[in-house]
Amino acid sequence: MLPPFSYIAVHSKQEALTSLASLAGAALLAGGTDLLVRMKKGETHRYVIDLTGAAELSGVKDRGGTLRIGSGMTHARIGAHPAIAKTCGGLAAACSAVGSPQVRNMGTLGGNLVNASPAADSIAPLLVHNAVVTLESIDGMRSEKLERFITGPYRTTIGKHEILTSVEADTLAGYNEGYRRVAKRAGWAISRLSLAWALNDADGVFKDVRIAVGSCTPVPFRPREAEAFLAGKGRERPVVEEAVKMVLDEIRRISGMRPSFAYKLPVVRDLLLSVLGGDSCS
Amino acid sequence: MFIGRDLDRVDALAKVLGTAGFAHDLRMEGMLFACVVRSTKPHALLRDVDVSGAYAVPGVLRVVSHKDIPGQNTFGALRKDQPFLAESRVRYVGEPILVVIGENEAVAREGAARVRIDYGEIDAVLEPDATGKGRQIYDTGSLMAYKKVRKGDVEKGSAASDVVVAHTFRTTWIDHAFLETEAGIGYVDEGGRIVIKSSTQNIHYKRVEISRLLAIPEERIRVVQATTGGGFGGKLDVTCEGFLALAVHLLKRPVFMRYTREESFLSNTKRHPLSIDYKTGARKDGTLTAVKVDITGDTGPYASYGDAVCLRVAVHATGPYEVPNVWADCKLLYTNNPVSGAMRGFGVPQLAFAHESQLDEVAEALGMDPIDIRIRNGLKRGSVTATGQVLSASAGFVETLKKIEPFWRARQKTKKGSGFGLGCMYYGIGNTGVANPANALVELGEEGRVILHTGACEIGQGSDTALLQIALETLGVARSDVLLDRGDTDTSKDAGSSSASRQTYISGKAVQEAALGLRAFLDEAGYYHRGRALGDIYRATKDKGRLLFEGFFNPPASGLDEATGQGIPYATYAFASHMTEVEVEEATGACRVKQVHAAHDVGKSINPKAIRGQICGGVAMGVGLALMEEFIPGKTASFDAYYIPTSLDMPRVEVFLVEDEEPTGPFGAKGVGEPALIPQAASVVNAVTDAVGVHVYELPCHVERLKGLIESKKTTK
Ligand SMILES: Cc1cc2nc3c(=O)[nH]c(=O)nc-3n(C[C@H](O)[C@H](O)[C@H](O)COP(=O)(O)OP(=O)(O)OC[C@H]3O[C@@H](n4cnc5c(N)ncnc54)[C@H](O)[C@@H]3O)c2cc1C
Repeated sequence: MLPPFSYIAVHSKQEALTSLASLAGAALLAGGTDLLVRMKKGETHRYVIDLTGAAELSGVKDRGGTLRIGSGMTHARIGAHPAIAKTCGGLAAACSAVGSPQVRNMGTLGGNLVNASPAADSIAPLLVHNAVVTLESIDGMRSEKLERFITGPYRTTIGKHEILTSVEADTLAGYNEGYRRVAKRAGWAISRLSLAWALNDADGVFKDVRIAVGSCTPVPFRPREAEAFLAGKGRERPVVEEAVKMVLDEIRRISGMRPSFAYKLPVVRDLLLSVLGGDSCS
Repeated sequence: MFIGRDLDRVDALAKVLGTAGFAHDLRMEGMLFACVVRSTKPHALLRDVDVSGAYAVPGVLRVVSHKDIPGQNTFGALRKDQPFLAESRVRYVGEPILVVIGENEAVAREGAARVRIDYGEIDAVLEPDATGKGRQIYDTGSLMAYKKVRKGDVEKGSAASDVVVAHTFRTTWIDHAFLETEAGIGYVDEGGRIVIKSSTQNIHYKRVEISRLLAIPEERIRVVQATTGGGFGGKLDVTCEGFLALAVHLLKRPVFMRYTREESFLSNTKRHPLSIDYKTGARKDGTLTAVKVDITGDTGPYASYGDAVCLRVAVHATGPYEVPNVWADCKLLYTNNPVSGAMRGFGVPQLAFAHESQLDEVAEALGMDPIDIRIRNGLKRGSVTATGQVLSASAGFVETLKKIEPFWRARQKTKKGSGFGLGCMYYGIGNTGVANPANALVELGEEGRVILHTGACEIGQGSDTALLQIALETLGVARSDVLLDRGDTDTSKDAGSSSASRQTYISGKAVQEAALGLRAFLDEAGYYHRGRALGDIYRATKDKGRLLFEGFFNPPASGLDEATGQGIPYATYAFASHMTEVEVEEATGACRVKQVHAAHDVGKSINPKAIRGQICGGVAMGVGLALMEEFIPGKTASFDAYYIPTSLDMPRVEVFLVEDEEPTGPFGAKGVGEPALIPQAASVVNAVTDAVGVHVYELPCHVERLKGLIESKKTTK
């Protein structure tokens, strides 16, 4: 059962910002698919501010080189959006894999990022797109790289009076990108492991390689050393194997050895070998 | 004609419209809410129980302890060994200690949360110990049940084998995961009797237990089955009924209960985790020579249905094959883990996983096709089972294999990681080696309406519709002439539990008998030949009293010899073969089940669509058993971490029916409820082996376990 609270439905971003600043003990509710679960377990808030009426938080804008995605966009809408599918395909795939149709119809991108679960599906593809989040409060606006915004499992730099209003992601034309997740069943399951990638290669040579691993380390991350190593190198088995080894080393460096790695590291290895190697390595 | 027809389920419309009164939906004016305080320790003495916090919550009316029980504080379907409310000691996490009754659910739960219990912890026994040397929970030792089957001489049989395969198979706790958690309502009726309506698989049994608990005669108690959202064996034991009866008895007001999902996971019985040492011997031509099976299982601290599981797995140890030399031992041991009890198949799905894997390995060693070794050894008419029973009729096992044989021979791996597997089973219908009768009543009521009174609980398996079809066919009346009155101890006689796939066969036969009684009466009254209307017949005879016709059936079976397990444990058996196609992704260990061909010998199909429904449900449950379901005591709390298959995990299912009629069954029918599940996990596992060449000896074969097997195969290569 939910603990008692006062419910406030706002009709604009401004109203949301004002309410948030003036009401002590308020929580924001977007889709509620994380918040209500926590509240049913006993988390209490005096006020719950429902953001769904704030139209400014919705929508997608192509800003030439980047896409700006409103934080209130649901996973279902992101998964079905043509512009996102075209230039941010990994994110579309990731959002389409979240939970179940019900969860995708309610759950939002903003909620996914602010909740900042290590298994949140949208994080890895957004890291690949060098995403930047915009945060607003009645005192102003700031932007932060997603990589910096999430500081630990379920932890971000968000201020008490801030709302995450949008996310800006590089459009990656000419890249081959994708997203894979592993879960214990075909649907309605949290990712045990996920991998997002965007590759730009020509004539058998890697130009730019972007990889992000989710559900493995405390925060989804980009293995920068391996990415840098691959840039300019030929797309060949020994090169790919070396890069994969670097990724695994980096995971171990970040997290130490964990019992779950007996499963996860071989999966990261095999998925990366096939993603990076293409047919040559499978 | 009503047999073999896809009559619409009698409960379909109400369920689709949402008007069916599930136990969770029951409400009464002025009703209170009761909730249970449960042990948080696996093994402890109750040093002090402080209920003052609960009474401090406004609206809490009563905290009930074992001291408030007027009658016997024990229950159990087969042994009365489990306390309703713990007295001085708790033996598993989730064991009930108190019942808190409040004005509403929030208040009752708040009260329950404020009870303080001072536990004196005792080291818990968390591993079944067959040696008898380790720590024990009871002075009488850890062995709860021990059953044996002996036929021929396995040592000689093994010596005469060209190939011997031996492995140990392990399974774990499985939750029934019925969608409706345990729930019910209780009240005192105008006559001062206690009435309980609940989500249950058996009403007459529950009445006996309430009578013992409250020390009042059974006539003073009425138990009614509410529309029930699934059972699978988990609503055979007393769940909320005892607490409701106690609360109503003490407070004389309506009381409602419903378990949260977390409570259900914590408190309900589980499928027995079994460890199965299995040795199979065969000659070069594939003929089985000997089977030796040594099984140990974790039964938790109380017996529940452990005795039934123990005997049934020993009896079914060989699977549906004729084996001249059999040695099977099953020991169930007490622990402080969850109480293991009845769950769809009573241990046989675990056994099928073992005997079917074994058979594939024997076939592989001999270079035989898996289907050929099954056809060669399959039980058929005239075969002698492991308990020495000669199958004289209705033994269509080989025919089930023949149904899927064309698909098996034509199978083709379409991509890397695809594989095919077979799984087969036989299953004795009804309880093992004991009397398990059912009664039924058919009445000619007001205005000539025929009323079928049955105590058989409809738990979604379709017994309402099947029993109705049997009555309709026997009587040769119209659908609109018959009214079904089900699941009320006031209007029905004991039909036994809806378990062991027994209701169509046993209650069905009792219904047929009762209907034959009415038929003879109607015949004499001129209904069939002179076209006299039912209403006229009723009006002409109603002054002579109720026109009630009784039916009774107890399947002809016998007890088994203690030392050898020889005898006739069941009057009839169901048989099935499943063929499953999977796709395994080596990189991730993910296994998807693509298609299942399922062939079942049901004796006679009463309602083909309902059978198909049972088989699809059984397949889903088997996919869960094979690939994902795993209850970890102390860890698994809810569906958050307990994975059951979703629609996306479901394969396509093709159903084939074999009708080798059972002479003692109603119109030749047997049962299919549990058989639908039993071979499925086995066929998935064999398909995984075919797909990626690893052998699976432990379930569930979830992504991590499968990837681990694939990895270790790589390194040993
Ligand atoms: C059954 C189920 C399955 C799930 N499966 C998945 C899955 O497969 N993958 C996955 O990634 N997640 C999954 N989730 C988690 C959840 O659905 C997602 O994280 C979702 O994106 C959360 O979005 P929301 O809008 O519902 O967030 P809410 O619950 O509304 O909010 C989450 C948190 O973010 C805050 N918040 C929300 N919006 C803003 C904003 N604009 N600015 C500042 N703070 C904000 C809230 O205050 C709250 O603390 C699942 C959840 C459930 C219940």
